[in-house]
Amino acid sequence: MHRHGNFSLTCAILLITYFSLPSSATTATHSNVTELILAIGGERTEGYDPTLGWGRYGSPLFQSTLLKRDAKLNIIGDLAFNWELSEDKKVWKISLRKDVHFSDKTPLTAEDVVYTFNTAAKSGGKVDLTLLDRAEVVDTHTVRFYLKKPQVTFIQRMITLGIVPKHLHGPDYGRKPIGSGPFTLVQWNEGQQMVVAANPLYYGNKPAFDKITFLFVNEDTAFAAAKAGKIHMAAVPQTFAVQKIDGMHLHAVPSVDNRGIMFPALPKQDKKSDEGYPIGNDVTADKAIRRAINYAIDRKALVAGILENYGSPAYGVVDGLPWDQKSGHITDNDLKKAQKILQDAGWRDTDQDGVVEKDGLKAEFTLVYPANDSIRQALALASADMAAQVGIRIEILGKSWDDIPQYKHSNAILFGWGSHDPTEMYNLYYSKKAGQEYFNCGYYANKTVDNHLDAAMTASTFEDSLPHWQAAQWDGETGFMPPGDAAWAWLVNLTHTYFVNDCLNIGDSQMEPHGHGWPITANIETWKWGCP
Amino acid sequence: MSVIQWIARFFLAKSLRFVILATAVAILSFTLVSFSPIDPIRAYVGTDMLTISSEQRELISKRWGLDQPALTRLFLWFKQIASGNLGHSMIFDEPVSKVIAKRFTTSLMLMALAWTLSGVLGFIFGSLAGIYKDSFLDRIIRWYAYTLASTPAFWIGLILLTTFSVSMDLFPICCARPPGIGPDEVTIWNHLHHLLLPAATLSVIGVANITLHTREKMIDSMQSDYALYAHAIGDNTFGIGIFHGLRNAVLPAITLQFATLGELFGGSVLAEQVFSYPGLGQATVLAGTRGDVPLLMGIVLFSCFFVYCGNTLADLIYTWIDPRMRKEVG
Repeated sequence: MHRHGNFSLTCAILLITYFSLPSSATTATHSNVTELILAIGGERTEGYDPTLGWGRYGSPLFQSTLLKRDAKLNIIGDLAFNWELSEDKKVWKISLRKDVHFSDKTPLTAEDVVYTFNTAAKSGGKVDLTLLDRAEVVDTHTVRFYLKKPQVTFIQRMITLGIVPKHLHGPDYGRKPIGSGPFTLVQWNEGQQMVVAANPLYYGNKPAFDKITFLFVNEDTAFAAAKAGKIHMAAVPQTFAVQKIDGMHLHAVPSVDNRGIMFPALPKQDKKSDEGYPIGNDVTADKAIRRAINYAIDRKALVAGILENYGSPAYGVVDGLPWDQKSGHITDNDLKKAQKILQDAGWRDTDQDGVVEKDGLKAEFTLVYPANDSIRQALALASADMAAQVGIRIEILGKSWDDIPQYKHSNAILFGWGSHDPTEMYNLYYSKKAGQEYFNCGYYANKTVDNHLDAAMTASTFEDSLPHWQAAQWDGETGFMPPGDAAWAWLVNLTHTYFVNDCLNIGDSQMEPHGHGWPITANIETWKWGCP
Repeated sequence: MSVIQWIARFFLAKSLRFVILATAVAILSFTLVSFSPIDPIRAYVGTDMLTISSEQRELISKRWGLDQPALTRLFLWFKQIASGNLGHSMIFDEPVSKVIAKRFTTSLMLMALAWTLSGVLGFIFGSLAGIYKDSFLDRIIRWYAYTLASTPAFWIGLILLTTFSVSMDLFPICCARPPGIGPDEVTIWNHLHHLLLPAATLSVIGVANITLHTREKMIDSMQSDYALYAHAIGDNTFGIGIFHGLRNAVLPAITLQFATLGELFGGSVLAEQVFSYPGLGQATVLAGTRGDVPLLMGIVLFSCFFVYCGNTLADLIYTWIDPRMRKEVG
């Protein structure tokens, strides 16, 4: 959920006007470059402490994690060479590599791992370890995690939580991070830049660059700096990606950074939510309306028209991830099918006003979008036009994020999510999560879906959980995807766009989550220099 | 009454007034902030909203003391202030005093340069325009001042940025220092190079105001009886301006110059945003948009103190420049 003011838009427009002028700066394409300057965001104002949430996406740079995901998002070992779950699925046993040192030369042992997990569980940061009962040392290189209840997504914590040295961790650790990762912190000028150097003690393959500088500037400035040939990589919005920069190419990374319409699944209720907001919408509560919209929308046109083709059609919340249910992807832009669904359910335009009715109820509702996000505004407008073709009238309404909560249970909302953690999907569709924060805003409930989600959560390995996650989306008979209950109408996945120096080879990038910028660093230790 | 007694009374009165002012400002801003719809936890969690459970949310709110009612928090905050502790910033995870100290040292150079620039330029332009009223020079200066007065500072910033940094490549595009350079390698010229455009932008706020006020006052002096007399005994216009007009014209300039300290603070928020200059202005924006109440309150108190000191200084300088004022105070 990014907040961009009109101010930054003005900046962008003014800057772009000037970009048409030729730049006199020399581009940084020398041979044998060992120092990089990147503008891809990544500043954490509160510091680089993994126990408070640093490193959940991309590379944790200074620390290393027990497990990690490869370019195809398969889970592979990093600090851990063996990991197994007990019969009752409540105890993880992790065996650690023995050759790992922190950059202060002290060895990384089970003590540090246990300290990191126990500290993160209590610290009240962005690491949710409320599931962890306790972590225990078995011997110098073996640890056990005891869970309060079985939950397969705990493995996500092992993938994202960087291990900190017990003897150095304290209140100012975030500003002096020491760890076992591929890089060490040289300096951090807050609000400006961070300089890191390759860690000579790193146990993995040595990074090809001695020094990397991360500039913390906004996208407009990053683009201007790239244009001036001052940096090797810039994360830019899709609207800038159509431009050309000498000596740089566009690196487009597919993502699950998705946008879609959430529908209230309950009819109007008398009672209000715990936060005091109204619940339910009589029109969107009808499955036929939700399905008709899903089939009527032309997602390819949205991608071409709004995202400059830097995106892909979205049919579910986890498109392209290993737990995506491909059979739930529908053929859209099918007005006939949409009309038939409405007719079969009894929706007919009896008064010839272009909007279908059923028992005196007109098929019209409001779609709320965050007013400061021009892409979501365009998506809302275009979707409303497409739904109008089958006789569903959608009013669109722009509101600030601070206002949206009061609308979230009784109106359709244009949300955007996308995570490498299936917990997100669980929270969006699990019936008991209804009404809390932004979890299951529509009060969607389907017993079969709940059962599949439960089965996935309590699977014995992450691989075993995949078919259950898929079945929850669409098991051939029901599910929350469009062929089933069509709880949401997912519209598009964004493609994240980066300008990269022609000589910088960054390999295959992971499919990225909601964040644009830092996730590109997931494989930063393998980046190489070499001009084609 | 001796001078020492006078000074003691002056400072005692001023300090008492500051405490009252600061308390009022603190209560007012806390009330405003508590009406803000921004939920700091939601702002902190951001896009991870869906993978953070409600139990974890409770942990976060406990860490920040948000589980207490607002009045209790205000009371605790006052208690902290009384013991000289400004509190702990939520978004920087550091003591507020440390954040302000760090950020203010970066902003100070920017603000000092801008402030001096606007004061000196404004006063020179205003005096010249006043002395040579209705001349070609006066018209140019007035045109310049009116243009600046009706132009938002951030817009000037953008124009300067696009002209001098992007297309002419004379100045850096952002930040307070060149990228990838260690703290030992940064020279004073690096600093100035990065400072000049933001400082020029920020000075725009003051220049027009001071120019136009100084000009008016100068015209008054130039049309006074003593100026006429000086003319009669053969002084030239420039000499009359310098020897008879300047002292009169400088008073409104000083008032304005010190009164703009508050605006300088406000202006630095915009200028720092345009030039990605990591000063106190940027920290203020962050604190506001992410609901970091302790930091925001700390900055409010600090800027209140800063502006108050500025105005006190102006009071003292008056008495030094204008003997008539000394008599009144005495």
